[in-house]
Amino acid sequence: MNTDVFILFFNSFLTTVLSVAAVVWILRKQYLPVIKQLEQEEQEDMSDEKHHEHS
Amino acid sequence: MTQTIFFIVLAIYVVLGGIVARYIKNRDDFYVMGERGSTVLIVGTLSATYLSAVTLLGIAGQSYAEGPLVIAALGSFGAWIGTLIAVIYIGRKMKALDCKTMPDFFEKRFNNKTVSIIALIIMIIGLLGYGVIQLIGAGLVLSEVTGISFSMMIILFTLALLVFCALGGMYGVVVTDTIMLFTMMAISVVIAPLIIGQAGFAEMKALSETIPFYWTIGGAEERPLGWSISQFLVWILFFSCTPALVSRVFPAKNDFVILKSAVIGVFFAPFMQVIVFIAAGGMQVLQPGIENTDNVMVLGFLNHVPDALGGIGLAGLMASIMSTASTLFVLTGFALARDLYEHLFDKKLSEQKSLRVGRYAQIFVAAIVCAIAIAQPSAIYWISIYAGAIFGVGWLPTVVGGLEWRRMNSKAAIGSMLIGTATFILVDELARNEIITLPVHIDSLMISFAVAVLALVVIALSTQPNQYELDYYDFMKQQSMSKNTIEQFLQEGRSKGLAKLKKEYKQTVVISIVFIGIAALVWGYFFVMLGF
Repeated sequence: MNTDVFILFFNSFLTTVLSVAAVVWILRKQYLPVIKQLEQEEQEDMSDEKHHEHS
Repeated sequence: MTQTIFFIVLAIYVVLGGIVARYIKNRDDFYVMGERGSTVLIVGTLSATYLSAVTLLGIAGQSYAEGPLVIAALGSFGAWIGTLIAVIYIGRKMKALDCKTMPDFFEKRFNNKTVSIIALIIMIIGLLGYGVIQLIGAGLVLSEVTGISFSMMIILFTLALLVFCALGGMYGVVVTDTIMLFTMMAISVVIAPLIIGQAGFAEMKALSETIPFYWTIGGAEERPLGWSISQFLVWILFFSCTPALVSRVFPAKNDFVILKSAVIGVFFAPFMQVIVFIAAGGMQVLQPGIENTDNVMVLGFLNHVPDALGGIGLAGLMASIMSTASTLFVLTGFALARDLYEHLFDKKLSEQKSLRVGRYAQIFVAAIVCAIAIAQPSAIYWISIYAGAIFGVGWLPTVVGGLEWRRMNSKAAIGSMLIGTATFILVDELARNEIITLPVHIDSLMISFAVAVLALVVIALSTQPNQYELDYYDFMKQQSMSKNTIEQFLQEGRSKGLAKLKKEYKQTVVISIVFIGIAALVWGYFFVMLGF
């Protein structure tokens, strides 16, 4: 195996891996908590509405 | 045939520029295309700007002569990482602060005229110096190929640039970049693979028997590893703060567009370059002994692929010149009109007048570019040595310090920008005139970057930020693209906003996974064919 050729294609692949890692990190850190919180708020609202309907 | 292609490419630019101009209604349309950029458009302009004539001419030539790994394995890797930093870190943070141009950041962060003026001078010298020299180099090659005189070619290029930069502004640049990207992609997807196919992987690998070390990182010239590592670092510094790439983020519609563009655009950076460099290696099998190595890919297009594809290859080369030049020149015009005339001279202009000033600035820049490119004064060659990398030493420490350090202030910014740039020129001149000898494999850019960082830290520690700078730092830390995008989505109502957020989130994750797969397939294939 030619190690130098491996380095070229490994670095080419690593570039995409790094960009994906950065993007996924941002998504999980900055978006996922907000999405979960909004989902929870929506569920609470829905259960409140049901509660009102029953009472 | 070559002349016909040349005129068709120019005509497409002019027609598109005219069409796009109809959408320019106000200054935001002109400067950041009304922040309506979709993923396709942002990926298009990012990738098209990234692929310059340097790849298809200079570095392809070096890959042909010394071996495809010499620049690609580490030097280009630095450029890809630099592009990622430019988009996902610097561009994204600046857009969150509502910057329409990069000098906006200096103005907002420090509110100091001296800082803004120095930043502007660095920007204008950097963009014009780098842009004009690329235009001259590429123009000389194209002039030889098409038989059109160099002066006439530059005048025609400038007129085409003028039409869509002055009429369409950033809108024109982004749309034409995206369309031109398809011709550039044809080179990587069809033409270069055809050249590689004709040469044959086995014959290409066998080149190392006739040209020792051809398939090594050091290449036929047996460059030491330290040189390659130094190239890697230099290209990171060069790309991560260059306005041509950072500003591609500003027209994006929202954060998800930036994130998707980071994945796709950064994948395209190696995809468009490495395959061309390997094809340049293939040319060593098909047509050894080319003396003017800058012409390698042009000869490949003309002699080793069917005529129609060769024509598309030439169109791709022209597109790469135009897309890089248009971005560099449109930004110079913006710097003159918006950052210098409107902001620094405190001119309060109406929407229409601001638009008119922006267009006049484009005409002014086009005239200057045309005159310099035709006259080719020796000073432009001197400036070009420093122009490309000036943002790495002049801007990068101040930008990162400004974004991350509470203590950062205008005095540190002024000191760092001036000392960094002056050290760069001084050390490089002394080394090139053999008055001093630099340590082995240490580039003048690396030394001056270290000096700029040191100057910034020392001055910042020995001075105090003023109240405005402290307040703006606190304000800045509360801003983020994700926050802006979430607010933007929730304006449509909570349920609708949440659904949109979830949809964009999923789409971004899927794109990320798909591109990991594509990257593994493409690079895995080439590794299997060339690595054993």
